[in-house]
Amino acid sequence: MTSPIFWVGVLTLALIYGSLAMVLNVESGWGGMWDLGVAGLLASGAYCYVILTIDDPELDTKFVPGWPMWLAWPAAALFTGLVALAIAVPALRLRREYFLITTLAFAEIIRQLIVIQTDLTRGTTGVANLDRPFDTIVEGRNYNYVLLGIVAFTALVVYLITRRVGRSAYGRALRAARDNEALALALGKPVNRMRIKTFVLVGVLIGAIAPVYLFYIRAISPQLFAPGITFTIWTALVIGGMGSIRGGVIGAVMLIGFTEAVGLIEVDPAHINILVAIEPFLVGLLLVAVLRFRPEGLFAERNTFGARRGNHRTNRRPASAPVGPITGAGTAAAAPTVSA
Amino acid sequence: MELVLDRVCKSFGGVVAVDNVSVRIPRDEITALIGPNGAGKTTLFNTVTGFDPPDRGSITFAGKRIDGLPPWRVAGLGLIRTFQTPVGFTTLTVLESMLTAATPYSMESPRQVLSFGRKAHRLERKAEAQAEQITTELGLGDLLDMRTDELSAGDRKLLEFARQLMAEPKMLLLDEPAAAVAPASIGKLSQLVRQLCRERGLGSLIIDHNLSFLMQIADSVHVLDRGVLIASGPPADIAADSDVMRIYLGGEEVVT
Repeated sequence: MTSPIFWVGVLTLALIYGSLAMVLNVESGWGGMWDLGVAGLLASGAYCYVILTIDDPELDTKFVPGWPMWLAWPAAALFTGLVALAIAVPALRLRREYFLITTLAFAEIIRQLIVIQTDLTRGTTGVANLDRPFDTIVEGRNYNYVLLGIVAFTALVVYLITRRVGRSAYGRALRAARDNEALALALGKPVNRMRIKTFVLVGVLIGAIAPVYLFYIRAISPQLFAPGITFTIWTALVIGGMGSIRGGVIGAVMLIGFTEAVGLIEVDPAHINILVAIEPFLVGLLLVAVLRFRPEGLFAERNTFGARRGNHRTNRRPASAPVGPITGAGTAAAAPTVSA
Repeated sequence: MELVLDRVCKSFGGVVAVDNVSVRIPRDEITALIGPNGAGKTTLFNTVTGFDPPDRGSITFAGKRIDGLPPWRVAGLGLIRTFQTPVGFTTLTVLESMLTAATPYSMESPRQVLSFGRKAHRLERKAEAQAEQITTELGLGDLLDMRTDELSAGDRKLLEFARQLMAEPKMLLLDEPAAAVAPASIGKLSQLVRQLCRERGLGSLIIDHNLSFLMQIADSVHVLDRGVLIASGPPADIAADSDVMRIYLGGEEVVT
């Protein structure tokens, strides 16, 4: 087998994707906003961070702000929140697949802007050898463990934030508006405003994760933010279970672990291109297998919410329960039971 | 506090759905709105609640102009409607649906992630107690942890009503509350609506096809035909009005 350091790297990447998938779940799982523009928000955060931290005049960029990391990091999060706001206001006039197309388009616009604005971003060349936290203290291979620590901490914070969203009245209102928008409006919920705020929250969180992603990659260029990364995050979320709290991160660990393991298969060098070609096929097979046996993903939303904590009430309607005073035709016969 | 419509018009393309309707709905009474299919009853509801703003005319509630306000603002003033087909919040449990209705929107913002105050918690406990009380009254008490899409059609109909009560309405707009309810239970339903409105000093405007149900329950009745208000009065007078009965029985509607 390969060295532990390889698997440390795999886990690091998986936790980065997992953090992004947990954030995506807030807007797409609970909020019902099918967002295909994750890459665009990630690019906004990452480029904001890189542009603000550039301290080498030889890179030939228009600005050399040389901000310290700890300052550029929150700035990247805030900037991405603003970008999210600019996208949300027009895009949230649309629903479902139309929203999806629009967010995908915005992500591509952002990537093209990055390519064109060479004096800000160095275009397709990008920036290499980015500084990373503590890389002057811990060097070489051991730095991978430091990075895993940073990434794990990020994933934990994202998990706690999204869990809090999920269990709050705010998360409940998001799910309610997703299930029945007209009814939410009829109960006095400003649905669109709530969704715009949610999109901004998602932007801030993705912007905060973006620098961590760069610590892993160590370089930045527009190719990093092609739509592929959005699809990977979506796949992780769907495998893990949309609408569940931890589904995203578990799905990402499975997906990335599986993908990297496939890459480890030893084949005759003559057949290496066959293996490379077959990789996406195998990932697709994993997705189909999961969805065949667990259509709602490994963790389903239906098991995430519902029965109140600390309450021993069962989900099953008691067999001897009196039928309510008013019941529709055939109610008693059709009373469904839920397996606990 | 009353709902006043003044010369309200609404058309879709060339079709006039609501034609110059002026009516006052008093705050502490049960008012019925009847009329054959396509008479514009539901359109009138949509016009009042902001889902389909009127083309002309004004709508006032509690002395405040509400035409042109978005639906969630209208609801915020205490004008709460139900829907003809009680779909509900499909994946939410009965209790979650009830709590969602009770929670003010200011407590449902991402800012909540940062607030660690006790206020939200206290509100939630209070709403939970209220939800248990209302569901017990309506015979839904055992179903609090059931998902809405797992309820029977009859129970969903009840939830539609129970949930909207949680929003603390000042006036309820009920869109066909007796549809899909077993005929034997209609008597109980009308008793319940009456009792709840009395207890809470709640006005309500009810659309239904079931005339016997409405005659039992309403203090006054308005008749709408092809978008025009053709008769108003106490139930007994309307029932005796031969014109109204001809329009009703002459239409496609089967009256039970």
